Amino acid sequence: MTASQTAALPQDAGASLRAPAKTKSPLRRRDGLAALAFLAPYLVFFVLFLAYPFFWGIWISLHDWELVGTLRKFIGFANYLDMFEDPLFLVSIRNTLLFTLMTVPAMVAVSLALALALNRETRFHAVLRVIFFTSSVFSVTVATLIWIMVLSPDRGLIAHLFQGMGLQPIAFLGSPDWAMPALTITTVWWSVGFPMILFLAGLQQIPQELYDAARIDNASAWRRLTRITLPSLKRTIVLVVVLQIIGQLQIFGQPLIMTGGGPADRTRSMVQTIYETGFTEWQLGYASAMSLFLFGVMFLASMLQLYIARQED
Amino acid sequence: MAAKQLRSERTAEWLTRAVLVGLAALWMIPLVWIVTMSFKPNDVLMMSTAGLLPIPFTLKNFNDIFFVSMTPRWLFNSTVVALGTTALTLVVASLAGYAFARLDFPFKRTLFIVVLAGLMVPEQALVIPLHSVITSWDMHNTHFALMAPRVALPVGVFLMTQFFKAVPKELEEAAALDNASRFTIFRRIMLPLSIPALVTLGIYTFLHSWNDFFWPLVSATNTNMYTITVGLASLQGNFAQTEGLGFIMATAVFASLPIVVVYLIFQKYLVRGVALSTGK
Amino acid sequence: MLKKSILSLLLSGALVAPGAAIAQTKTEISFLRFFGGCADEYANVTDLDKAVGECGVIQVLTNKFNAENKDGIKVNTQNVDWNAYYDLLSTKLASNEAPDVAVMHRSTLPNFVARDLIEPIGEDLSKAGVDLNDFAKTAREAVTYENKTWGLPFDIHALLWHVNVDIMKEAGLVDASGAPIIPKNAQEVFEQAKIVKEKTGKRYMSMDARNDAMPVRVFNMLMWQQGADVFSAETGKPTINTPEGKKALDFIQKVYKDGLAVPTHGNGESSQSFLRGEAAVAVNGTWAVNNFSNQAASGKAGFKTYAVADFPPIFGKATWSDSHMWVMPKKNRTPEQKAAAITFLKYLNDNGISWAKTGHLPVRTSVLQSDVFAKLPFRSSYAQTAQMARAVPMVQNQRPAQDAMRDSFGAALLTDKSTGDALAEAQSKVERLFRRVR
Repeated sequence: MTASQTAALPQDAGASLRAPAKTKSPLRRRDGLAALAFLAPYLVFFVLFLAYPFFWGIWISLHDWELVGTLRKFIGFANYLDMFEDPLFLVSIRNTLLFTLMTVPAMVAVSLALALALNRETRFHAVLRVIFFTSSVFSVTVATLIWIMVLSPDRGLIAHLFQGMGLQPIAFLGSPDWAMPALTITTVWWSVGFPMILFLAGLQQIPQELYDAARIDNASAWRRLTRITLPSLKRTIVLVVVLQIIGQLQIFGQPLIMTGGGPADRTRSMVQTIYETGFTEWQLGYASAMSLFLFGVMFLASMLQLYIARQED
Repeated sequence: MAAKQLRSERTAEWLTRAVLVGLAALWMIPLVWIVTMSFKPNDVLMMSTAGLLPIPFTLKNFNDIFFVSMTPRWLFNSTVVALGTTALTLVVASLAGYAFARLDFPFKRTLFIVVLAGLMVPEQALVIPLHSVITSWDMHNTHFALMAPRVALPVGVFLMTQFFKAVPKELEEAAALDNASRFTIFRRIMLPLSIPALVTLGIYTFLHSWNDFFWPLVSATNTNMYTITVGLASLQGNFAQTEGLGFIMATAVFASLPIVVVYLIFQKYLVRGVALSTGK
Repeated sequence: MLKKSILSLLLSGALVAPGAAIAQTKTEISFLRFFGGCADEYANVTDLDKAVGECGVIQVLTNKFNAENKDGIKVNTQNVDWNAYYDLLSTKLASNEAPDVAVMHRSTLPNFVARDLIEPIGEDLSKAGVDLNDFAKTAREAVTYENKTWGLPFDIHALLWHVNVDIMKEAGLVDASGAPIIPKNAQEVFEQAKIVKEKTGKRYMSMDARNDAMPVRVFNMLMWQQGADVFSAETGKPTINTPEGKKALDFIQKVYKDGLAVPTHGNGESSQSFLRGEAAVAVNGTWAVNNFSNQAASGKAGFKTYAVADFPPIFGKATWSDSHMWVMPKKNRTPEQKAAAITFLKYLNDNGISWAKTGHLPVRTSVLQSDVFAKLPFRSSYAQTAQMARAVPMVQNQRPAQDAMRDSFGAALLTDKSTGDALAEAQSKVERLFRRVR
């Protein structure tokens, strides 16, 4: 059964399903066993390498548990109560939420715009697709290093731009107001590749017939975009938004390396605090509790997002 | 009226292209800078990192990478791990994604939420428990231990589920009428239709697996099991960022080449043409 | 007669052969360190004159030991990059993969000792012939905690006063021999800064502050110079928010607010600026001596004449320091492995003068006073530093404490936070760190 044959099938096949089924359609059978076969390979990995360590982490969070050494003292929920009296933790939550609010819309907008603009098969577009993706191939260490230099008020590229315009260069990473936007720009430059290709992949799923029909109707490019493309991309947009929210709530390398969470703890992120608590202060139990809280925040945010988008199963 | 539309569309097209070129030029500057620095001597960079042209020029930084006797071994490890992770991920994620997108089974919704929740566990929180688990199975310093945690990540399943859901149901129904098994439908219809998604997931997984640092650092602690990222980092001295900047940039360029190559090869499948969707 | 000697020859051969076979059995010890990976660059090199830089010296020393030791010991080196070192060491210790010998800082030692993760090796070292009394006072203190010796000191690295003599000369701040005049107190620092600015238009100082630990080191140093400390050695509690602390932080803040140094410099930018000839003085460590002097000498830097001196007595005589030492993490060892590790440590100690080539200060008084050391370039100009070097007290959590102070002090330098607020914040952050310490 080739794809062209299925395309040739008229609306009948669909119609017979949309009408209330009198005879049971072959696909409505219960798929219990098949599901098991399809899911088992992934679930084995999931349970062994994610779920099990996760639950162990919860167990650790109920203890005073040090990274090295033998201290393992059960303290129940004390870590969780402690968290909310910890000024560093609280400021981390604030910063992380702020950063996510700033970065997710920017990232989604830029990656979507790029995907829409570069969704052609010409060489010109192919070259551009490579350029905009290549920034994503570097490790976080290198991406942050290069942007520290770009943003340097002494010799950075942006400083040269400012000087060229006769303005005083801003010390982005040393400024309590500009540090976070600077991290956003770095993050967008570094990470736009993946959402861009996700959108490109999503665009491939939109049937050409829709566009052909629109052309016959003399629809403008804007109409095609808003009436066909964007609605058809809805699922991909939701996917990208959810992944971005989850990703940016876990921001770690950029603040750690570029600002150390500063100046004045204005860019300190939750995962940075978690990492420092666990690996620098060796308080693993406390760090695990904080992770669980972050997990809860992400869970809420994504469930909310998915609910809003009302995905049908 | 059609002609006027065509003209305004042409102008818009030109404008878009101009903007894109401008943006791309700006975008590339940091990239060019990285490459430039990789060809400059460390002592020159100690004083100033300015300049987008590699003058004075040196090959020493790359030389220092190629003539480390362990580099081929580290590359081998990274390749095995990245390819293995990608292959495993594509297989298990597409299978599971199809189940969530199209099959009907008890507790499906709950299970999907549970899997999705796995996306939200920060890596740093998992490292130590995961490390203990792998220690208890005596599996450190193996390629598999470097692959498995990444294969367990739900992003692949999430992605494939969303993409499979977008495939028109009619295509499957027709096959089902022929009494095709679930697996045949999966293999013959769903997989070919989801090539862009598979390519996307493949590139993403390969990229992240290749660039992984923290987990390989703590799991593959024998020098000959290092991945290329950990291995090259281990060569750095204490003041690498000031005294060895050229070398760091060279390792960055070197480590990123395979990913760029992978992308170059596969990116055409991302815009293979809408023909894929409907079989024109 | 001949027969007899041939027989005895054969017999002795027969006895020696299996003996030689036993000596061939290698005891392998694992050696974890940072300092760089240059095993290929120095493959088979055992000539210490060919060693350049930290990595070169330690690698050649290791090669030499492997090649020349008569006990059949083989040292297997694993290098880790500096930033990831303690993450890796902690993980290894947590999973029972401890190395035989590892490098450690004085500032991190208490964390490990308090959790019983290190072997006390004072007696073993003495028995192997290491003269513990030969160590300089600071070095000896660096490895002593709760009256035991926990490691072998290897170096002291301290803050120095690096000078661009060209600028100082232009400003008229050199003496008859052309050596730069070092300020004798806080007042003179600002006076010199003014003169330099007026006469040359250049900035006085280069010191990283953005996301950098340097202001914290200087703060510690200024506390010690006043006879105070950041931690009370008796109670182990932080004593940051004190009158001495205020005096110290006020001085640092004034340096930046008056334009002596650039507060947004971080990530080594201040060193770059110094090398370009933009400042008269750089606040940096012993680790920068070789770098700065080589660059100046090569003619590529923004200045020709480099000098270095003990850190000026702003409030008193003391300078900040930390130490590298070698420790033996606790693990199940055979007596052979333990003996092998000690032998290697003794060897490193005997060759301490080679490490001095890196710019770090040797730990043995006999080496400090030797002719070989005096002949190393610039060392005599900071000869006092070993004596006036102070380090953080043996209290746990020095690293996170330093991070906390870095963040809070940074606010006073980069934003309009007052020093009083910054000190109070640092104090409470560090106190919070200790609420779980036993």
